[in-house]
Amino acid sequence: MLKVEHINKKLGEFKLKDITFQVKEGEYFVILGPTGTGKTIILETIAGIYSPDSGSIYINNINISKVPPECRNIGFVYQDYLLFPHLSVRENIVFGLKAKKINRYSMEQILHEISTMLNIEHLLNRNTLTLSGGEQQRVAFARAIVTSPKILLLDEVSSALDPRTKEIFQHNLKSLHKKLKTTTIHITHDFNEALYLADRIAVMRNGEIHQIGTAKEIFNHPKSEFVANFIGYGKLKIGNEV
Amino acid sequence: MFNKNYKDTLFKIFISIFGIIFVTFIVLTICAVMGKGLPSLMESIMDKEIQFAIRLTLYTSTMSTIICLIFSVPISYGLARYNFWGKKIINSIIQMPNSIPPIASGIALLLLFSTKQMENIVSKLGVDPVFSVKGIILAHFFINTPYMIRILRITFEDINPKLEFVARTLGYSSWGTFFKVTLPLARNGLISGIIITWTNALGEFGTALMLAGAIRMKTETLPASIFLNLSGGNLDKALAAAIILIAMSIICLFIFEYLGKENIRNTK
Repeated sequence: MLKVEHINKKLGEFKLKDITFQVKEGEYFVILGPTGTGKTIILETIAGIYSPDSGSIYINNINISKVPPECRNIGFVYQDYLLFPHLSVRENIVFGLKAKKINRYSMEQILHEISTMLNIEHLLNRNTLTLSGGEQQRVAFARAIVTSPKILLLDEVSSALDPRTKEIFQHNLKSLHKKLKTTTIHITHDFNEALYLADRIAVMRNGEIHQIGTAKEIFNHPKSEFVANFIGYGKLKIGNEV
Repeated sequence: MFNKNYKDTLFKIFISIFGIIFVTFIVLTICAVMGKGLPSLMESIMDKEIQFAIRLTLYTSTMSTIICLIFSVPISYGLARYNFWGKKIINSIIQMPNSIPPIASGIALLLLFSTKQMENIVSKLGVDPVFSVKGIILAHFFINTPYMIRILRITFEDINPKLEFVARTLGYSSWGTFFKVTLPLARNGLISGIIITWTNALGEFGTALMLAGAIRMKTETLPASIFLNLSGGNLDKALAAAIILIAMSIICLFIFEYLGKENIRNTK
């Protein structure tokens, strides 16, 4: 579904180096790594906000590297949700549908379906500035998925939540993914979150991917000392099964 | 404890003295104009010359502000969002009219539009600014656009660019994103920029005097009317023009302060 091949990108002093991975249709793919390692830049490059210095991005074998963001059909949820403050909740959610010139009746139907699914019908006429963190998160999700994107990109969407809310959120996210089956790339620094949600994980550090695999593969066969330390092993002989 | 309070009080009194002196200075100055000019204000307002000056001032200030806005919005957005070679130099050039004395700017504009080549171009376009109303608008545009660009640049820089990124991922082009997200979020900055530019245009005189002249009943704005009537010994008319200008500026100031408070209330 998504192929990222040899992406290099320099932003100021930071550099993404030879980023290569593939994500299958409907897969939940997690990019895991500490803060400042370039995870958000990868998502923004896939979304088309940045052009790679070299390398290519393919969706369904079509090279989209030079396609503008508005034509890629990719949903994006940022860590701080970034709802439009000048629009109500309803207007935020249908913002993308208006760009597609969907007729009013269909728009209302889709809005009703999504808002019911995410339990935000009661918020539709509210000002976004009056929403709690959890409510903003659900509205941001609704806005991203309402246009039925081919790929959903999630940028540390649970990092601001308290542990209990995080747990509920992760459970809801997993259910939502099962229901919608949207190809999802989720970035996080939380290994437990990756373990719970991911079909496969890519571990990153300093702009490079160190290892890609299922949670079991990474847990049992960490390929580097960094990967081993990051998932919580401390000193361990690299490559050995635990 | 007693010593600390005494020092605090002394510090506050020290600061207040400067405030009191300056506020008193302003109030006395305005009262001097109002005191002398108010008794004959109504009679002067009925005068055709003053009415012409009021109409021309409103017209030129409004037109120049609109033209400033048309240029300032794209320029300030470009400076806020994009990095390009020579950006610092271009920004410095844009701010130059602020640092050049207005009267020097006026002479420079007069020389530019007095050249044969420029004369031919502007005559063909029907926009000859020398000793005309169009010259007043051009002078205001030259002097005030840098102010508006500075205000709008800060406004656009304050808008999180990631909001624009999100709009792009939701299907809007850069044009659509600008009109649906950036401009609405820049509303308060735009209004502030418009009010400040309009107020500046009301009182701008030096540059307009050089380019458009101060011709009675032709290029006679309220500042030009003050100059002409004072030079001609007609104090009543000069004071009437001054009072009207002061009143317009004070109204603009109150609107600006009110909008500033609304903005704070809406963002809390």
